[in-house]
Amino acid sequence: MNSFFWTCGYLGWGIFSLAVFTGLWLLLTDLFWRLQSIRISRLLVTMATGWIIGVGLILLDFYIGNR
Amino acid sequence: MTMFVLQIVILCLVATAIVLWALYFPYPSPLIRRWLPPRKRWPETQIRMWLKQGQFQRAFLRHFYSDPERIAPPGNSVLAPADGLVTSAEIRAGVRYLVIALSFWDMHVQRSPVSGRVLHVESRGDGFMDGEGREFAFLREKSCPVQKRLVIATDAGQVAVRLITSIAARRIETWVRDGEEIERGQRIGRILLGSTVVLELPAATKLLVRMGDRVWAGQTAVAEGLTAP
Repeated sequence: MNSFFWTCGYLGWGIFSLAVFTGLWLLLTDLFWRLQSIRISRLLVTMATGWIIGVGLILLDFYIGNR
Repeated sequence: MTMFVLQIVILCLVATAIVLWALYFPYPSPLIRRWLPPRKRWPETQIRMWLKQGQFQRAFLRHFYSDPERIAPPGNSVLAPADGLVTSAEIRAGVRYLVIALSFWDMHVQRSPVSGRVLHVESRGDGFMDGEGREFAFLREKSCPVQKRLVIATDAGQVAVRLITSIAARRIETWVRDGEEIERGQRIGRILLGSTVVLELPAATKLLVRMGDRVWAGQTAVAEGLTAP
């Protein structure tokens, strides 16, 4: 699991992907909120679900890659 | 090492985008502004804040002062003198008043609805608006303190365009003079941060638009059947 955070002189792809994905997802949520007339609760649920799925996929990919 | 540097650069870019987002929130970050329509790019609350401060974002001013070319439709229909929403089309004393409300995001150059000769350009309220203080406070009570009224004579009667601005803006430019011949769709003036344009037509004129319709200056036909009384 250590390679999740650090690998051979650079950041582990796990933590790096999580950080970049989370940042971009936040910005995408903001853009989506501005472009669509959508209730804030619905938007939050949708984007949180998307974020969980994204994080799940990153973790799954990391797990499969390091088995 | 190269990989680490690349990762740090990418993380810095994402962090910069997030910091910009946080600094500008609830207004859009400069990074996403270009993808938003004008109304979302500069929300009304932000524009009202600029109005109070007397400072505006350059990009907004560029948009506000934009003056795109317009192609008048063929025919003799009466064109909309301004961009905006039709908010009223009442008839009073034999005159139909077509009221067009401009928003902050509309183009603010007005165009002639018909071809004809400018009979006169009347100013109303300008003289009182230069001073601040007591007179200013008194005029705040008035609903339409600053107006310019352009009367245009056509072969089929007279048409008038009234440019009305607010007490906050107080500036109207007119680009035509008494006696000048003007074309249908020609630029006639500009309201600076203004609000309303009223087109005065003979009551018998057939309207082609309804309340709530969106019209574009020099491009949307708003009435037809302008006939001599």
